[in-house]
Amino acid sequence: MSASPVETQKPAKITVKGLRKSFGANEVLKGIDVEIAEGEVVCVIGPSGSGKSTLLRCLNKLEEISAGHVVVDGFDVTDPKVDINEVRRHVGMVFQHFNLFPHMSVAENIMLAPVELKKATKVEARAQAMKLLDRVGLKEKADARPASLSGGQKQRVAIARALAMNPGIMLFDEATSALDPEMVGEVLQVIRDLATEGMTMVLVTHEMGFAKEIGDRVIFMDAGVVCESGRPDELFGNPQQERTKEFLSKVL
Amino acid sequence: MGMFLVFGGAGAAMAAPADNGVEGKTFVIGTDTTFAPFEFRENGELTGIDMDLVRAIAEAGGFKVEIRSLGFNAALQALTSNQVDGVIAGMSITDERKQVYDFSEPYFESGIQMAVAKNDDTIKGYEDLKGKTVVAKTGSEGEAYAKSIAGQYGFTVKSLDQSATMYESVKSGSAVAVFDDYPVLAYGVAQNNGLKTVTDKVPGGSYGFAVNKGKNTALLAAFNDGLAKLKADGDYQKILDKYLANPTAAQPTTFLDLLGKSFPALMSGLKNTLLVTIISFAVAMAIGLLAGFMKISHNIVLRGIATTFVNIFRGTPLLLWAFMFYFGLPQLTGQPINIWVAGVLTLSLNSGAYVAEIVRGGIQSVDPGQLEASRSLGLGYGKSMQKVVVPQAFKMMTPSLINQLIIMLKDSSLLLAIGFAELLYQGQQIYAANFRVTETLLIVGVIYFVAVMALTKLANYADRRFNK
Repeated sequence: MSASPVETQKPAKITVKGLRKSFGANEVLKGIDVEIAEGEVVCVIGPSGSGKSTLLRCLNKLEEISAGHVVVDGFDVTDPKVDINEVRRHVGMVFQHFNLFPHMSVAENIMLAPVELKKATKVEARAQAMKLLDRVGLKEKADARPASLSGGQKQRVAIARALAMNPGIMLFDEATSALDPEMVGEVLQVIRDLATEGMTMVLVTHEMGFAKEIGDRVIFMDAGVVCESGRPDELFGNPQQERTKEFLSKVL
Repeated sequence: MGMFLVFGGAGAAMAAPADNGVEGKTFVIGTDTTFAPFEFRENGELTGIDMDLVRAIAEAGGFKVEIRSLGFNAALQALTSNQVDGVIAGMSITDERKQVYDFSEPYFESGIQMAVAKNDDTIKGYEDLKGKTVVAKTGSEGEAYAKSIAGQYGFTVKSLDQSATMYESVKSGSAVAVFDDYPVLAYGVAQNNGLKTVTDKVPGGSYGFAVNKGKNTALLAAFNDGLAKLKADGDYQKILDKYLANPTAAQPTTFLDLLGKSFPALMSGLKNTLLVTIISFAVAMAIGLLAGFMKISHNIVLRGIATTFVNIFRGTPLLLWAFMFYFGLPQLTGQPINIWVAGVLTLSLNSGAYVAEIVRGGIQSVDPGQLEASRSLGLGYGKSMQKVVVPQAFKMMTPSLINQLIIMLKDSSLLLAIGFAELLYQGQQIYAANFRVTETLLIVGVIYFVAVMALTKLANYADRRFNK
């Protein structure tokens, strides 16, 4: 897990080149270059407004990309000919505010994509949903409404939903930021399990301890650029940039 | 008897010189709603001098007539826009009208009389009118006459559209007198409409049947032929006597009697009200959904079209569009328009503009994270809208939509202005003939209230059922 991608020679699962993103006159990403190898777990940290969430949302094109290239699982998402819906099926995403569908049961939330995209019959999708719920420890909540779940349970369901299309990549956008402290652990455990299984993951997080624990690599972003990037023990133990030191001194 | 008629008819057809141009045809005739004894409803049936006359003439000429009871002004507008073939509505033949219509031979010599409230002893003649207000019917001989002497006697003339409203104005004291055609006043007084006539009748114009200028010449000729024939064989006088010599027809006396007599007509009005509301609401939903989605579209052209549509129909009165579709459109296209089509267009386009805003607001009130979550799963925009956003938006929209439906049900009463036979229109027809204005309006009001309550309960039940 701690081996760098260059040493393992694994093919790049995600390649970001010269990525720029502006909201009107405000440029939030000012040229990002990142490569992420298959099976790698990358944690993105940085102060709020540094562009880390925007970077994550550019990877599955939830944000329109202003300039540069993003290649995910072999698809260039900036190419207008590429079917973005097809790409997104390879990339699961988990949001800070869960975004579960309140008008559906827990199982229906998970079954929606496989059934609507004709990857499975309802019966098959239900069976798969039960397996996923078992994996996140919520099998008994299959027929509950999202509104009846706690924050931690909601986020575990959201993770199960993101896994329903068997994605090769998982994106986590501050997945534990909206949770009460006592519920953070149960969600982190599910993410930890995924890391152990070799899932390629990009996590935007404020949990420094967790980033240190599961990250193969930590990227520190500031003001729309990658300020520093490296193995967690190096970045946290011996930061090279002044800005990184300053940030870490505040959060650690 | 039947055999005789069949043979008689066949014989007449063979004997007729070539073709009189009307035989076997059906003509649409427009008339007033409220001009007893010339036209009024009795037990739901249109009757009166004009009606008996035009039907008898049609029978004599071997053609059929379909009567549209539109109201005086509306009937004339319908004639101008070729929505009807002819108008018979106790209409005086005037030089002004001759510019735009062709008239038959006069079929009735009328005259103007003034009436005041039965218990009013202060107004005995025109001299007592100084500084007061009188009412007359818009565009009538009575109005013209009142205006011609208004300056001399120092009174003001206020024009109203219906006889019944004029009489109510006088009875309630907002006007002191009414100028109207003498047979109409005489009939009303005989029906206990609460008025009395106080002046001698002023010989006035003659009534004629009208067609659009240069059109339906065969119909006009057939009317003149038929009228001459009826006058010759005495049937004409019989019709006049039926309504003028002894005008006390059986009118409801008690409230229950009124309720019983008017109920069938009011129920048919309610049926039309509900039907036009339901059809229009379905169309309004389709228009509103389309325009609502266009309003949130990223395409500036679609957004512009939807915004313009909403602004136009929210920014203009419903009634204007009723007139526009029923009277204006046919003059532009040259094609007559069915009154249901005009009514549904009016209600659904107006309501569609409001539904569009409700839809836009409903969709925008759904957390954008919902769409993002669905899109991130690989579902397209359309699928995401259909499965995730719209079901949640509808739940939020439902109370506003129910509200819109109820507004539409009540607004449909405005269609009476183009002669659509809805509930309030039927009520007007009833009090125009029996002058029981307050009680009839009360009954109509209760029916509306019950209908709205029932619809609200039904809609709320559906809301709970489908939006749990």
